[in-house]
Amino acid sequence: MNILESIMIALDSIRSNLFRSALTTLGIVIGIAAVIAVVAIGQGGQATVMGEMEKIGSNLFAVYTDWRSDQPRTGDEFALKDMEAIKEQIPEIKYISPSAYAYSQVRGGKNVKSVQVVGVSADYAPMRNLNMKEGRFFNGADEQGRRRLAAIDEGLAQELFLKKSAIGEQIVIAGTSLTVIGVVKQEGSIFNMGNSQYVYVPIRVWMDIFPWNYISQIEGTTYYQEDVQATTEKVVTFLERRHHGVTYMSQTLDQQMEMVGNITGILTLIIGAVAGISLLVGGIGVMNIMLVSVTERTREIGLRMALGARRKDILTQFLIEAIVLCLIGGIIGMTLGVGGAYLIAKLAKWPPLVSWATMLLAFIFSAGIGILFGMLPANKASRLDPIEALRRD
Amino acid sequence: MIKAENLSKIYRPDTLPVRALDGVTISIKPGEYVAIMGPSGSGKSTFMNLIGCLDKPTSGSYWLDGQEISQVTADELAFIRNKKIGFVFQNFNLLPRMTALRNVELPMLYAGVNKQKRLELAREALGKVGMLDRLDHRPTELSGGQNQRVAIARALVNHPKVLLADEPTGNLDSKTSEEIMNIFTQLHKEDTTIVLVTHEPDIARYSQRIIHFRDGVIEKEELLLSSPTTPEQRGHF
Repeated sequence: MNILESIMIALDSIRSNLFRSALTTLGIVIGIAAVIAVVAIGQGGQATVMGEMEKIGSNLFAVYTDWRSDQPRTGDEFALKDMEAIKEQIPEIKYISPSAYAYSQVRGGKNVKSVQVVGVSADYAPMRNLNMKEGRFFNGADEQGRRRLAAIDEGLAQELFLKKSAIGEQIVIAGTSLTVIGVVKQEGSIFNMGNSQYVYVPIRVWMDIFPWNYISQIEGTTYYQEDVQATTEKVVTFLERRHHGVTYMSQTLDQQMEMVGNITGILTLIIGAVAGISLLVGGIGVMNIMLVSVTERTREIGLRMALGARRKDILTQFLIEAIVLCLIGGIIGMTLGVGGAYLIAKLAKWPPLVSWATMLLAFIFSAGIGILFGMLPANKASRLDPIEALRRD
Repeated sequence: MIKAENLSKIYRPDTLPVRALDGVTISIKPGEYVAIMGPSGSGKSTFMNLIGCLDKPTSGSYWLDGQEISQVTADELAFIRNKKIGFVFQNFNLLPRMTALRNVELPMLYAGVNKQKRLELAREALGKVGMLDRLDHRPTELSGGQNQRVAIARALVNHPKVLLADEPTGNLDSKTSEEIMNIFTQLHKEDTTIVLVTHEPDIARYSQRIIHFRDGVIEKEELLLSSPTTPEQRGHF
């Protein structure tokens, strides 16, 4: 007897007990749906985070002083001269900029806001892929000339100058007056939930405004992604040679992405495993109902044996019935899982990621459950004695 | 066709031995029509199970169509049941979910006959028992006599060497019983070997030879050469 006919027989038998079969497969449906949804949402979330980080630029690296070192910071760890020297000595570097942060009040128009004032070089804008909504970012000449200019975030421009254009307006930070020459577009990003607002000023100007503060780190990018790691290490060695006794640390965006990937991966795995337990329970349900079915159909089994069915034929018939039952559940579960993933993803505003591998795995898994939990009932059926089975009512 | 030599079957040989069949020797020729009679516990059912290849003897030998059966494997037994034996049961044993046609197809499923051929042969067999107008009826939609006709068609469809009928009229009224027995008579005329188990003397009388079982042995044999088995005498069905 071929497989197709066995499948037809199985479908026939499932159809004749439709309600019971539906209840039985429910466990599989819920299990598969849960696993698919969890994995899809997890992978979607991971892809979103990765995409955002990719947008920032995966060639990005940062070098900062070793926070574990007991040496007190002097403020001499990063000098402006270092930047030029690094760019000269290490040709793989495309952009490099210091980053200095100070939290301060900013007055503009009739309004006052407390924001982060970031001192950077002209390289910062192309390095971080900052897009201008209006005006421009300051350039190398502005920086060299210590011109009192600033670029501000879109949200801040709105809060300070309301509907008016901010370009050409004056803002005052710690008593220093600066002219706004650019408004930075704020891209919708999952990292920017708090709508943080920055004021970017040339690093030399920043040092004038906040003479007691110091540069906390330098950031840079390389031309090619494969150079990031080696280049970052070069920068660290270079700095350590120039500043005796200071230890530096570095991190690349690549490393961070890997870390985020690992964490989301582990989370998906754990939640997926919990969902997988319901699959196990579903499988036991299938086994239970198949055992009932074997008992109910003892006479049928006896008859089939009398008509020439071998033990193998009976085994195959019941095994295929269990597999078909699980696969039907699996397919319905996949549909619900994908649907659920899309729904949740829509609420969470990230794309669900249903990979073919996940679908295939779910399919194979539900068939596997059918085999695993169908084996015992099928084996029981195939071991019946035809005489006994025929005599049974 | 069937030859049994010193055939014995002992149930529970280790704990509480029951000698269901005790050294039965018998021979049934091709084309013969034999009835087996006996009270319950006489060993007739055990004998049927053995010649039907549903069970293996404890000792003795059994030849079916020239093949010694007592030592073959379970799978080989299934093959022999499929190809050489047609069963007719008291309670028909049709699968309730399937139509008459599908029920008759069943033995061919295990013989590996393709769908096309199966339908053709099943129709032919159902035609032979006068059920062509009920192909798509399920057992619940048919009368007892009609169900038994379907069961006979199923027994015939693989062209078995022997037709084994176990109380085929046990669930039928006398008129329907007569109709069914006439089908057997017709099949016998067409050279089918038939072994009929019954406890009704009237039914046994359709055969050529009656073998009486008692306490696991053959008590006596009755030859019915002048029996009213010919359709001329019994009327047509």
